[in-house]
Amino acid sequence: MHMADALLSPSVGTTMWAVAAGAAAYAAKRTAGDELCERKIPLMGVLGSFVFAAQMINFTIPMTGSSGHIGGGILLAALLGACPSFLTVVVILAIQCLFFADGGLLALGGNIVNLGLVPCLVVYPLVYRPIAERIPSPRRITAASILGVVVSLQLGAFLVVLETLLSGVAELPFSAFLMLMQPIHLAIGVVEGIVTASILCFVYASRPEIIEGAASQNRPVSRAALPAFAAAALLVGGALSSFASGLPDGLEWAVGKIAGSPELEAAGVAYEQAAEIQGTTAIMPGYAFASEGAEGAENSPSGTPVAGVTGGVITFLTIAALGGVISRFRARRAHSG
Amino acid sequence: MTHTSNFAAKIRDIYSIESISSGNSVLHRLHPGAKITATAFFLAVVVSFGRYDFSRPVPLLSYPVLAAALGGVPYALLLRRFSLALPFCLLAGTANLYFDRAAAFTLGGVAVSFGILSLFSILLRAFLCVMAVLILAAATPFTHLTAQLERMRVPSVLITLFEVTYRYLGTLIDEASSMYTAYSLRCGGESRVKMRDMGSFAGQLLLRSFDRAERVYAAMKCRGYRSCRVRQERVPFAAADYAYMFLVCGSALLFRLTDVTSAVGRLAARLP
Repeated sequence: MHMADALLSPSVGTTMWAVAAGAAAYAAKRTAGDELCERKIPLMGVLGSFVFAAQMINFTIPMTGSSGHIGGGILLAALLGACPSFLTVVVILAIQCLFFADGGLLALGGNIVNLGLVPCLVVYPLVYRPIAERIPSPRRITAASILGVVVSLQLGAFLVVLETLLSGVAELPFSAFLMLMQPIHLAIGVVEGIVTASILCFVYASRPEIIEGAASQNRPVSRAALPAFAAAALLVGGALSSFASGLPDGLEWAVGKIAGSPELEAAGVAYEQAAEIQGTTAIMPGYAFASEGAEGAENSPSGTPVAGVTGGVITFLTIAALGGVISRFRARRAHSG
Repeated sequence: MTHTSNFAAKIRDIYSIESISSGNSVLHRLHPGAKITATAFFLAVVVSFGRYDFSRPVPLLSYPVLAAALGGVPYALLLRRFSLALPFCLLAGTANLYFDRAAAFTLGGVAVSFGILSLFSILLRAFLCVMAVLILAAATPFTHLTAQLERMRVPSVLITLFEVTYRYLGTLIDEASSMYTAYSLRCGGESRVKMRDMGSFAGQLLLRSFDRAERVYAAMKCRGYRSCRVRQERVPFAAADYAYMFLVCGSALLFRLTDVTSAVGRLAARLP
């Protein structure tokens, strides 16, 4: 469910970054304020590495022949509490992005919200905690884990759909994309929930003090913060993103103005939102090309297509040759040095 | 690929980037702040292209290609990592192929649909983004990266956590790998863990991680660890850092504002 940079628009990407950064700053402040923080940081780090390792263990899903792996958000939250687990997920996602090309840097904000903020700061305090934490028992832990993971994945998948569509890079219709993502993630959620539950129950059976300790130590997310996160989610889901999704067009408009590119004048779609923002009646670039069909040929986004294709091939070959020459030069120098 | 070699490959993956990042090339010697700024600007330029721009971003390939060459980052490693990022982009791009079937133009008598353009555009942009981030990670030593994050006022809890998690990745993957080998041998060479065994399998690993965290904490404490970090000194940018930033950002902006690819194509068409 990691989103890639290429599927996000700059405005959706930066909006999600802002939300993620705000939540991380809040969680860091609360964690640092904890008197047990010093002891907890090595634990959070090692558990972060544990989730990495555990995600690599593929298990067989009975009767399907396919395999799955655990997610980790709810598992970490049950062991560490809301804010520390959120920070741990942030770090895991950052490492995956930087060193494993799993999810982009611009998309990191979105991934943190979908895979970290949702399970750790929203679902854990609202779903898992009320069921499992007061009087932990294997039955309660199981119910809370399955429900928690399923709800987290459903919300996360919904946000992925929303963010992708608001970015306007993929052409998938909203309902079709939603119908594809939600049921798949329901199935994944049930399996992942069962595995999370069995891990937590195992830990509870062999070392109950870990689960009980987590329950008594965890400072819940403050009551004031919960509505703030809900409001942030709504704001992102609704108002802010729809406002922001007008911005890439605004950006292109501005770039087009500077560059004086003919393609922009050719496609006359007035974009009221951007016009309001920019205080001018903007001529927007052609996101309506497809409906214009073959007539759109002259308005081809890359100037004349033949020049674009030929130029693309020549440019690519030149760059590749240049890269090859530098690499060889470096290798020779390293060899002689 | 067997499961054990999967673990080994992951460990190799981690250390391959780490060993490259400790190199001593021109790129490695630059200020991490300059590299982070240039990467962020480059990413913003890449994703700002229109969804059907299939040829205009091509000149931007010069950044990853030249930077990888200068920094001594092997292309094979970058391409292998790119294949990891591919599936989701391919899914979205292929969907565009189906939903966006209007013809954009004809090329030598063959109609090219907008879907094809957007698929190509998504793949090209995904490639550029993944390369830019990997080059940043491969050309910046991990400690320089975290020091720069600290200078950028990222909370110290997050930075210490980042360092500890990164440090123990290999150890825990190694541990999971040996547990897996033992499990596999006991089960007559099963290639995957049975779902009903997952609780005790991952649970064992989790308990070991808890114990390890205690030992790590004790060891850190013995070496004078306190939760507050030593503040990083500001390191000013050198002329080379400014030049690098100006070069990357300037050329990215130039390629964004002008259609270099078409100009090259037209020029080539005029030649005999």
